[in-house]
Amino acid sequence: MNISIELLRRYPWLPSLKNFYADFGSKDPIEFINDVFSKSSNEEIESRLLRIFSAAFDRLEEIQDHKTDELNISIYLIIKILLYVINNKLITNRVANLYSKQTYNDLLNERDDANVYDICEDLGFNFKYHDVPFQYGVVYNKDQIEILQTNFKIHFIDYLRLAANLHDDYRKLVHNALAEGYIFIDKKDLIRLIQEYVRKKLSTEDNRTDLDIQKLSNRIFKNAEFKELYDRIMGIWELKKEEFEYSFEFKFDDKIDISESFPPCVKEILRRIEEGQNIIHIERLFLVFFLHALDYPRENILELFSRLPDFDSKVAEYQIDFAKKKEYTPHSCQTLKSLNLCMAQKYKDEICLEGYFSKKLDSKRPLTHPLFYFQLKQYRKSVKSKENKTIKPNENE
Amino acid sequence: MKMSDIKFLERLFQAYYQEKSNEIPLVSSFGNREFGFIPWQKSIMIRHIGFKNRAQLIDHFTNNPPKHAYASGTLYEQPEAPDMEKKHYKGCDLIIDIDVDHFYTPCKDRHDLWYCKECGTNGTGMPEKCPKCGKVKFSKLNWVCDNCLEIAKKQIQNLVYNFLIPDFNLMEEQMQIAFSGHRGYHLKVENDEIRTLSSEERREIVDYLTGENISFEILGLREKSEGIYGLSKTNIGWSQKIVKQIEGLVSKHKLEIENILLDKKTFDMNPKQIKSFLNYKDDFHQQILNNQRNIWAIEGFGLALWKRFLRGIVQQISIELDEPVSIDIHRLIRYPGSLHGKTGFKVQELKLADLDDYSPLNEQNVDLDPIVFISKKHVKQKLEITEQKVPPTTFKGETYGPYEKGDKIEVPHHFAVFFLCKEVAKTL
Repeated sequence: MNISIELLRRYPWLPSLKNFYADFGSKDPIEFINDVFSKSSNEEIESRLLRIFSAAFDRLEEIQDHKTDELNISIYLIIKILLYVINNKLITNRVANLYSKQTYNDLLNERDDANVYDICEDLGFNFKYHDVPFQYGVVYNKDQIEILQTNFKIHFIDYLRLAANLHDDYRKLVHNALAEGYIFIDKKDLIRLIQEYVRKKLSTEDNRTDLDIQKLSNRIFKNAEFKELYDRIMGIWELKKEEFEYSFEFKFDDKIDISESFPPCVKEILRRIEEGQNIIHIERLFLVFFLHALDYPRENILELFSRLPDFDSKVAEYQIDFAKKKEYTPHSCQTLKSLNLCMAQKYKDEICLEGYFSKKLDSKRPLTHPLFYFQLKQYRKSVKSKENKTIKPNENE
Repeated sequence: MKMSDIKFLERLFQAYYQEKSNEIPLVSSFGNREFGFIPWQKSIMIRHIGFKNRAQLIDHFTNNPPKHAYASGTLYEQPEAPDMEKKHYKGCDLIIDIDVDHFYTPCKDRHDLWYCKECGTNGTGMPEKCPKCGKVKFSKLNWVCDNCLEIAKKQIQNLVYNFLIPDFNLMEEQMQIAFSGHRGYHLKVENDEIRTLSSEERREIVDYLTGENISFEILGLREKSEGIYGLSKTNIGWSQKIVKQIEGLVSKHKLEIENILLDKKTFDMNPKQIKSFLNYKDDFHQQILNNQRNIWAIEGFGLALWKRFLRGIVQQISIELDEPVSIDIHRLIRYPGSLHGKTGFKVQELKLADLDDYSPLNEQNVDLDPIVFISKKHVKQKLEITEQKVPPTTFKGETYGPYEKGDKIEVPHHFAVFFLCKEVAKTL
């Protein structure tokens, strides 16, 4: 694949980077860091990286003064090394989101389809391009008919790999024009898939262990400039992190039945287990994550799973322990909806359907997470019980 | 079930596996699949079994003839490893299970029996809850019949010819079809790229096949001041499928349309709505054909009613598949050539071309016949019915039953095996 150096400077995440800069791939990260900091202006490197991380922490959607020069390639590689040694999922996701959104904006500004074509080819997409656009439908508007047409078609496998995690309804396969294995895709939507590729590339963790990270950190921090940059980023993060971390305080107590505070999505899975029905893999995962978050004892979760028709104690134990070790958080409401696990409609649950009034805001806020549902219910319950306690003396009179 | 009947069936299955060992097919990537068996003695699945070659599998079948035999759609480096992590997942075929257990067929009102566990009420059909007490815990006796299996077969043909080939461009050689040995069919797609898909990605394919979560608004249905804009046949994908189906519907005779629209399970329209539909159907048909302005105008049809109508159309087109089976990437499915412990029928592999004339309960082609326990000497067996009621049963053009508890009956060998496997009778 012959991709231009200009394109690589703009999009350093392209697989062809390794062909142009073969030495990057083979180089020890510490050698690479030493090399970059000795050849380029430290100030420039630092200011660009701080801009990126600060913007990510502030949840901005673009990188201010983003440059697409030769140094942009090194900046991208340093970001990857930084994310590796920082080893914080929240930071990684923030940076991956920002960087991928920047990519989306840059790609939208590509005037030439040829560049998008080259990028798709470099990414190994199975796609088709026609100089004369494919027509795949119409939109009616009063007396006008707008023809839906595009130059691009992408194979459904590649489409699903990137679109299955996107939650816009119109991206669902069922709403797209699929024929002979290919989806007719608008250039803008194709670019959105490329954005998702970039986000995944930056946020996917390899099989790293804490020891691997420690080893690399020990070596790489010998470069004083890099260490200083790392410390500054972590300093900014310290100031920001409270805004991000989901605090949840709850202590499991075997004597108290908390199941009535469970959201409908959890109640439905428990109901089916109770009835001896099987539940699918994703439901098992969600339930384990949810119960772990409530600090449910391992034995209680195992007991619950033992009611499943295909219960295998070894498999269940492994899954429960693995989820605990990884500290996965349960899926959000948005994800549950996309997985068809949201039961708000079925249970006609008021909190799920209509949201709740926050302490700070007058208006209702939509519910975004099943754990928050639980927290809210528990909070309301505690307020109610306090009220009851204060009433009690009167009752005794 | 009586211990002696269990032993009898086990020996019968063993004899089958000994006699037909050469006919048991070898599935692709055999050494990478996990096997699971349910033995006759207790209802637990013994999993995490791998076989290096065919001889090992046949040895297992003949030495420990299982009640049910399964192999994974999943490929592993080490299928016999007890932990999922140690199995080293390599990918998973896309499995589509069409089983009449999961959807309504009109003949169920005659042959599927249910008993409410809460209040003891019983009846036939497929109720969602007990009509008397409203509870949902049932004990059921589901039966097999030609009509049900014909509907399931049509679903497989619809799946292949209207979805997998034209939309997903899959080849016939990549599809393994089998009669499940009970109330349905399996279709396994063996394609290297599909094997790499995650559960979430498979969910998208399932939604596409079932029309689940479809938004008619996204497909183009919307209300404007000038009227309601409908879907267009020009729009490739589900829009096109829906409009073609509507064209088929409006071309039918009025009486037939009326019956379809009255159906409670799909359109559930009232006589007034149907009358209006029939009055305007020709204009509506013209509108769809001309495709000029695409304003759908039928008196009394607002957006909500159009959506209900479209949902009915989607139900007619979509595939009634068992969703969790297709989404799960660690499922086991019945091994072809093995026997189904609830019927004694063989899990029969089929080619797409075989499907047209295939009739599992009355199959003329000996090579494809799943009823393997037919006695050539027309031997009959004496049984006593142990279930409250047993519906009529028809195999090979012969019908036995209905029966009631305590009935002493004498039936041909293959019927006897079926009744024993179904656990509705015991030997005398």
